[in-house]
Amino acid sequence: MTPTKPLPQPDAESREFWEGVKARQLRLQRCRACRRFRFYPRAVCPHCLSGEFEWVVTAGKGTVYSYTVCYRPAGEAFAADVPYIVALVDLAEGVRLMSNLIGCPPDEAEVGMPVEVVFEDASPDITLYKFRPAAP
Amino acid sequence: MGTLKDRYCVVGVGETEYSRNSGRTTRAMAVEAIRKAMDDAGLGPKDVDGMMSYQGNDSTPSLIVGPDLAIRLNFWMDVVGGGSSTEALIGLAMGAIEVGLCRTVAIFRSMNGYTEVRIGGTGTRAAAPVRGQELAWRPYGMTSAGQNFAPTFMRHMYDYGTTSEQVAHVKVAHSTHASQNPKALHKERVTVEDVLNSRWIVKPLHLLDCCVETDNATCLIVTSAERARDLRQRPIHIMGVAGRVSKPRTDFHFAHGPISRVAGYYAKDIVFPMAGIGPEDVDLTGSYDAFTFTTLLQLEEYGFCKKGEGGAYVSSGSIELGGARPNNTSGGHLCEAYTHGMNLVIENVRQLRGTADDYCPGWAEGKHSYDYSPGKCRQVEDAEIAMNLGWSTPATGSALILRR
Repeated sequence: MTPTKPLPQPDAESREFWEGVKARQLRLQRCRACRRFRFYPRAVCPHCLSGEFEWVVTAGKGTVYSYTVCYRPAGEAFAADVPYIVALVDLAEGVRLMSNLIGCPPDEAEVGMPVEVVFEDASPDITLYKFRPAAP
Repeated sequence: MGTLKDRYCVVGVGETEYSRNSGRTTRAMAVEAIRKAMDDAGLGPKDVDGMMSYQGNDSTPSLIVGPDLAIRLNFWMDVVGGGSSTEALIGLAMGAIEVGLCRTVAIFRSMNGYTEVRIGGTGTRAAAPVRGQELAWRPYGMTSAGQNFAPTFMRHMYDYGTTSEQVAHVKVAHSTHASQNPKALHKERVTVEDVLNSRWIVKPLHLLDCCVETDNATCLIVTSAERARDLRQRPIHIMGVAGRVSKPRTDFHFAHGPISRVAGYYAKDIVFPMAGIGPEDVDLTGSYDAFTFTTLLQLEEYGFCKKGEGGAYVSSGSIELGGARPNNTSGGHLCEAYTHGMNLVIENVRQLRGTADDYCPGWAEGKHSYDYSPGKCRQVEDAEIAMNLGWSTPATGSALILRR
């Protein structure tokens, strides 16, 4: 039997985030005190330590800050996916997150390329956010 | 508070065979490595009263290993950790002795790193549920060390124009060194083309950019300079140490740019002032080589070359035996064995004693040819000061400066 991929287990801080992804929205926390976005979800702003925040739906657009192409998988669950691209994406809202870059041949990935979010259902409960090259 | 510079010494070193099929328990291997280090130092069971180790649920703790050596411990501590723990534990051992917890500390690492728990991230480690901050990477197939470090290496290439050809010279240099080391797992010298033609593991890492997972145990013994004077070996003095110094945002360090900067950027400002020297005073280095890139990035951060010029520096011949400042003269993690840092410090201790165990017939008496052609010498001539640059992740590192 092929092992299943590790999936997020939403907790008190991240439940709203994952519910957003399931609804095809990339919602991020924005601090009410310093107005900065943050990723990943947590109780306190890492910039000003305020606990006051709101959830904001982002545009889901950004650029690749760095990336890697995995030819050796992270365990058997990812074996069928190689080579797969893992990218750091700088969102227009000012946060950096990590995800897969899909719909892009491994040799065509590059730093600085514009990307946009896309959603993939991973289980009945969990949807993952991924990125693809942005439409021109 | 007064400085501890030169007041503590590494007095004994030891290791088991480096293999990929030990067929032994970590307990048995730890006992052998510690016993060899005690013999090296001329210490008996009553002389060692402190023990420290680091592990990732893959070792045997001090309370089991100590009694196997007939040692009664006044202090012990086993911590979780891999790379960069060696230097940090040496610093903590100095502190434990300084405040009177014990007098002499044996630091060990025992791991069946190939046959039992591999760092490559396959197996159970990749299947556990994702909680908390791990959601930021694990669902996307990021688990192993190579995968996690790769974006840092890739961004360095983008920021500074570093090339795979340049970085391959790290493997070339370390393989040259390993060819002079009877203990090394991989003694064959390789070329830049060999590295570039090896298969991709995680871009930009080829197979030969990655270290060699190993079964082994290693040990270093630390005591005061005062006691060291009466022991068997020439004392190697600890001039400065920095332990597990970290970048901001260690929970998800990629969020804090530039990611091509690594923890040595911060550690250098602790270790050099403590030692009272600068990089120009160092004769040889042990820059942690979990991957070729880790050696390069750290040499930059500690000022052995300018930031961004690491590619040119490591491909200039400077880090090879006979160069300005050889790095990992045992062959390091890429070729001798992967030990989570211990063998890199052990090598520097032997270099400073003048007794690197090469193919010179008189190496044990410090008689070397300094002929670095294949199958000959790997002793650095007149080595006085050696430095270790320990790496845990791009975000955490440790450092150690030793002198003879």
